[in-house]
Amino acid sequence: MEISVKQSEQMSIVMIEGSIDALTADQITTCLDEQIKNGEKHLVIDLGKVDFMSSVGLRVMLGALKETRKLGGDLCLACAQEGVARVLKMSGFTNLLEIYDDIEKAIAHFKS
Amino acid sequence: MGSLPVFREFIEQACRHDKKIHDAACYDLKLAVDEAITNIITHGYAGMNPGSIILSLEIDPDKIIVNITDFGHAFEPSEAEAPDVDAGLEDRSTGGFGLFFIHQTMDEINYEITEGGNRLTFIKQLPT
Repeated sequence: MEISVKQSEQMSIVMIEGSIDALTADQITTCLDEQIKNGEKHLVIDLGKVDFMSSVGLRVMLGALKETRKLGGDLCLACAQEGVARVLKMSGFTNLLEIYDDIEKAIAHFKS
Repeated sequence: MGSLPVFREFIEQACRHDKKIHDAACYDLKLAVDEAITNIITHGYAGMNPGSIILSLEIDPDKIIVNITDFGHAFEPSEAEAPDVDAGLEDRSTGGFGLFFIHQTMDEINYEITEGGNRLTFIKQLPT
């Protein structure tokens, strides 16, 4: 699993590549926590290169979502592949946060 | 947890050999296996030395049968409470989703306590 962050004025875009599971979750959580600790409260998580996510991934996303909203910010997801999108839908996460088909729409979420 | 990608890759390779197993079904199998094995590692072998987990897959013309055997503590899959998928953010917990996903993606789930451990069997029907 690889994780990288691209920062702009309005937001941080976190790009994850690989799998989000019990093996990789802590590393992702650490990265997101660091962003939030550094004052980044608008996060876009680009899931375009995530080929697998389990329920552990939900915990990671939920934790970061709660923290960003506490700071008056938000977190949105982008580009979920079919299997990952189904996990998000089955769990009802589609009711909790915005999930965009492409990264431009996710970026527009914070620019609007 | 280092074994999780290995188990998923085993499922992926098996699915690739059979054209009637579509990507969605393959993902469902990987998800169910991943969730089950994560639970076994976290709870089944809690307080014990890490033990073996044996995964087998049988592909029949109309269904796939997955067996997972471990030698840890007993954990009946139906014991866990289903999560509330409609809960708002503040009330939302992520506990229990592993078993929930197994039930959502598999058509049949059987659990038995074996001598020295547990055997979990999933069956996923294939389109005819």
